[in-house]
Amino acid sequence: MKRNDLIGGFFFLTVGFFFAVYSRSVDVGTMEEPGPGFLPLWAGVLLAIMSAALLGRTFFKKFDQGEAFFPETDSWKRVGMVVASLIVYNLLLRQLGFILVTFLFVAFLVRFIFPQTWLKTAVTAALSTAGAQLVFVTLLEIQFPKGPLGF
Amino acid sequence: MEIFNYLIQGAMVAFQPVNLLFCFIGVLMGTLVGVLPGLGPTAAIALLLPVSFHIPPVATIIMLSGIYYGAMYGGSTTSILVNMPGEAASVITCLDGHQMAKQGRAGPALGIAAFGSFIAGTLGIVGIVLLAPPMAQFALAFGPPEYFSMMLMGIVIIIYMSSGSILKDFMTAVFGLLLGTIGMDTIAGTQRLTFGVLELADGVGFIPAVMGLFGISEILMNVERIVATTLVTEKVKNLLPTLQDWKESIKPILRGSVLGFVIGVLPGPAPVIATYASYAMEKKLSKTPEKFGTGFIAGVAGPESANNAASSGAMIPLFTLGIPANSVIAVLLGAFMIHGLQPGPMFITKYPEIFWGTVVSMYLGNAMLLVLNLPLIPLWVKVLKIPYSILFPLILIFCLIGVYSLNFSQVEIGLMTAFGVLGYLMRKFKFEMAPLILALVLGPMMESNLRLSLLLNQGDASVFLTKPISAVFMGISVLLIVSNMIPAIRNRRSKFKEKLGEDDV
Repeated sequence: MKRNDLIGGFFFLTVGFFFAVYSRSVDVGTMEEPGPGFLPLWAGVLLAIMSAALLGRTFFKKFDQGEAFFPETDSWKRVGMVVASLIVYNLLLRQLGFILVTFLFVAFLVRFIFPQTWLKTAVTAALSTAGAQLVFVTLLEIQFPKGPLGF
Repeated sequence: MEIFNYLIQGAMVAFQPVNLLFCFIGVLMGTLVGVLPGLGPTAAIALLLPVSFHIPPVATIIMLSGIYYGAMYGGSTTSILVNMPGEAASVITCLDGHQMAKQGRAGPALGIAAFGSFIAGTLGIVGIVLLAPPMAQFALAFGPPEYFSMMLMGIVIIIYMSSGSILKDFMTAVFGLLLGTIGMDTIAGTQRLTFGVLELADGVGFIPAVMGLFGISEILMNVERIVATTLVTEKVKNLLPTLQDWKESIKPILRGSVLGFVIGVLPGPAPVIATYASYAMEKKLSKTPEKFGTGFIAGVAGPESANNAASSGAMIPLFTLGIPANSVIAVLLGAFMIHGLQPGPMFITKYPEIFWGTVVSMYLGNAMLLVLNLPLIPLWVKVLKIPYSILFPLILIFCLIGVYSLNFSQVEIGLMTAFGVLGYLMRKFKFEMAPLILALVLGPMMESNLRLSLLLNQGDASVFLTKPISAVFMGISVLLIVSNMIPAIRNRRSKFKEKLGEDDV
């Protein structure tokens, strides 16, 4: 599909350029004695060339009516909310502590992605938090950040 | 007989209570992820990598291999009962398996799938025992140029086999190589692209990358829309196939096992290809080809045996060459590396307890699967009833805890999230994930072998073509690329790939 290949091509073109340019700040070396920058340089150049080829090939294609980016009109909301909740989990892990943030994370996802009743939400969140605490903290003895309340 | 001594040595490892336990956990988890649609063995092994840090190396390999072949058992259950593949290698089982279930013969379908898998697993292990040691012997002659060419060939083959456009697949593979160069250079010790971030010094964490690319991105794909599962039957009875069923199945099982094993040894998404190949072959050989697709037991027995044998076969290049044949094995290779083990020609002699222990445990695991799986089917039916809306938050929590427990690093949680989004976008834009992951795993090895080859030969790149073994590998790679440019072959390949679908394999 034209849109896919155009965006993908530009993305990897940038990545290739970035590595090729960056690699010059570390030692590229010579053919006889290749240095740490050797592979990043040539692989970056190769990636840029291939991306350019993809862009070139795609550029002359007609725009085709492919499938929409999201299969349903509200798909982007759910995908966005899941990504956002992962980021927020990471941000709040130290502030709230493992137990509280895990409970809130599960509860949010169960309640708002494919909405379930509050009862199901509470039960799932409580059981999964307790299970995680039991397996990972009690049994495997992994240390997680504790919150201001001491858990 | 030397082999028997080794097998006894392996049995002593595999029968240790700890290893028995992890073998059991592995096959149970494997069946579980096999049963659950939307969670395959690649993601499951990736999710368990962090946990494997806390387990001894032998037990880790035993457990993670168990997930791989266990998933082959579990996948058939979902295909038969729900008409939805639990994982990619069970797509074909839907055809006849689900028809059988509709006719009230879910029991024998599940039964023959399990028995067929067991027979195939047994034969596959015999194959490993006979083939792996000589193969390792052969690979002993490899130097840096041979290794580089072989890894290059591995990547080319996986690209040839995957379903996307060859150009795009090469791009993702090179992207994987580039990601692999981030971190400390293995030869000179220089820091590259770390931007002063401590966590990046040992490279882009392989685990956060894999968990993001496979685990998180899979979930992002799945939350796009609600998929409801409908079970065809609640109660499954008569699991034991009748004599007539056996008569119709035994030859497909044996043929499927051999075919699957051979395909498994070759690089590529072996279990999936093996099921298609076996189904096609049985249909061709059958006196009643019109029965296929109407709930014919041979259509379940052949492919289900083939995928299990293929998963055994795929262990051979891993153990003897250190080359993962597909993305599941690539992630498994990651587990070896976490424990500082480098599979390759010396591996079997250096770590006989791990190799033979794993081989024997695979046999035990297959036996456990046979004994446990059938009685546990009511449990799997219950598992299938858990709605995805409740399941995915749990998988996410598992990912978060897993990746954090590695180094207690929040940077790695961030990396995993970023790779999840990247993987999601790549799937959306139809870039394949398998070449990326393989290149990311092989990248550091390829780089050092490339540099050593050049260094040892005064910068003369022709060494890749003058050494005979290396030249053969290079020749095969070129042949595959060129053959894809010939229209007739390309059309056949794309037809084949259409059948395979886009599942990550």
